[in-house]
Amino acid sequence: MNEISRPAGFKGKTAFTKSCSVPLDPIPLAPYRTQDFFERTRDRIFGRSWLMMGRAEEIPEYGDYVVRRIQPQGVSTLILRGKDGKVRAFYNSCSHRGSEVTTADTGNRKRIVCPYHNWMYSAGGELLNIPDEESFFDVDKKNCGLTPMSFDIWEGWMFINLQKEPEVSLQDFLGEFGARLTGLNYVAVQTPVTVVADLDANWKVVADAFIESYHIPAIHPKTIASTFSSDENRFARLLDARVYGPHRTVSMYGNPKLALDPANKVEVLAYRNSGAESLIAAGTSDAMSEFLSHPAVNPTRSNTWSMDVNHVFPNTQIDFGPGGFWVHQFWPLSPNTSRYEVKFYVPEAANVRQRLQQELYVSRVVEVVLEDLSNVARTQRGIDSGGKSHMQLQDSEVGIRHSTLQVIKWAEAQTVAEAMA
Amino acid sequence: MTHSAINRLPAGFEDLDRFVDHWGGETTQLRLKARSSVEMPEIRAFYDAMVPRAEEALVHLEQYPMHEMPAEARRLMALVLALAQAHVAVEIFGAARAPNTPWPNSIRITTGLPLLG
Repeated sequence: MNEISRPAGFKGKTAFTKSCSVPLDPIPLAPYRTQDFFERTRDRIFGRSWLMMGRAEEIPEYGDYVVRRIQPQGVSTLILRGKDGKVRAFYNSCSHRGSEVTTADTGNRKRIVCPYHNWMYSAGGELLNIPDEESFFDVDKKNCGLTPMSFDIWEGWMFINLQKEPEVSLQDFLGEFGARLTGLNYVAVQTPVTVVADLDANWKVVADAFIESYHIPAIHPKTIASTFSSDENRFARLLDARVYGPHRTVSMYGNPKLALDPANKVEVLAYRNSGAESLIAAGTSDAMSEFLSHPAVNPTRSNTWSMDVNHVFPNTQIDFGPGGFWVHQFWPLSPNTSRYEVKFYVPEAANVRQRLQQELYVSRVVEVVLEDLSNVARTQRGIDSGGKSHMQLQDSEVGIRHSTLQVIKWAEAQTVAEAMA
Repeated sequence: MTHSAINRLPAGFEDLDRFVDHWGGETTQLRLKARSSVEMPEIRAFYDAMVPRAEEALVHLEQYPMHEMPAEARRLMALVLALAQAHVAVEIFGAARAPNTPWPNSIRITTGLPLLG
């Protein structure tokens, strides 16, 4: 597994699919459209995997909380930082009659008061007060705190697991993939820009679009094609691909230099003297030098590198680029709809010129998302037509091939141990 | 007659007042909507009027701490940031919206950048 397979220039075939030991047969499309597979996905993948919930730095202070809705179950989790500084996750459900105890998605509450009958909990989840307690029948308050949800933190990333007693620990789940990404200095973690869209496509159709660069010259000719392809590499072939159990990483080619067209007056105004070296970079490369020096970032040390996709099974991609990192998540809603969320971790602008450059960056990436949104709906309609039973994948699409085969493996496995074997 | 009661922009930028209602939205999402909901002639008119004033506007805005701008300066800053949307249409697509994409659509910026994001 993962033998070195460096492309000789970009003229001939690459051999990442073989070096990752992934079978070369066409990949079935049934997992992208059937109700049966959707239900297996819900129960056996999202019901058993560790799922990423964001960064602990988003809730730095005592009482800070975030509420995340885990799809496709629709389960709401309340993640809180307690008085002891520890972060915990709870089922968002009151011990009284089960109501969700929060109305906002984020905030600071040192006391959580259920909106239904004002039952009060501490930020550590203990039940503190029951209004008109004497009318109840010897409620054991000690055992009526919020119900903990399986929770762990890896490298600042918060994860939950919907199994009350997870079959695999987060550390074992991430395994060698996690070890490789240890010690990264994640920059600008407190102020992510978040973009959300509900898409008419299976969650895997959306995830697949973000782990291959073969589509970029066709779908994004004006927004990012010149960043990802060139005369040397017209089809944006990959620099690297590796697989680690259910997880994977690919490294993408890129044009090394940002070329500013003098006719694009706003672009010149925003990027001149900004320090940014790429149109898809939000910050300066200076501030990122420690991040960029990590061996898992641009792993082939290519001088024609655009970005890496680190796909944490099942539904999270942590991407690295010259200007920092960003995170895609894909949540199934039905066999052919999903919720897409992307967070761009952008350093807070030091002055109005940097702020303008960041506005151009955000504006461009929203257009990229919009181009993908239209593309995935078209893809899903074609898949739903039933005309095709399988898809043909090329070498640069090895990430999709590995992803779908892992999804099928988890959907079929009786136990997590079997899925991870 | 006092001008302060009617001037929504800093002195010297009064001529840009006609763009405040449409392009001066307080969030990136609102400015995205402003660009996506009109056609090229309107975008071009804003771009052509605003681009030559952008450097002067940035110099004016640089005198304030980022999060302590007076209301007039904030409105001017919003117009400067709206140039990012005009840029999308004029400099990227040559069209008001990305080709083959729907408007309106389900994309929402739920948390924007600090300051008018």
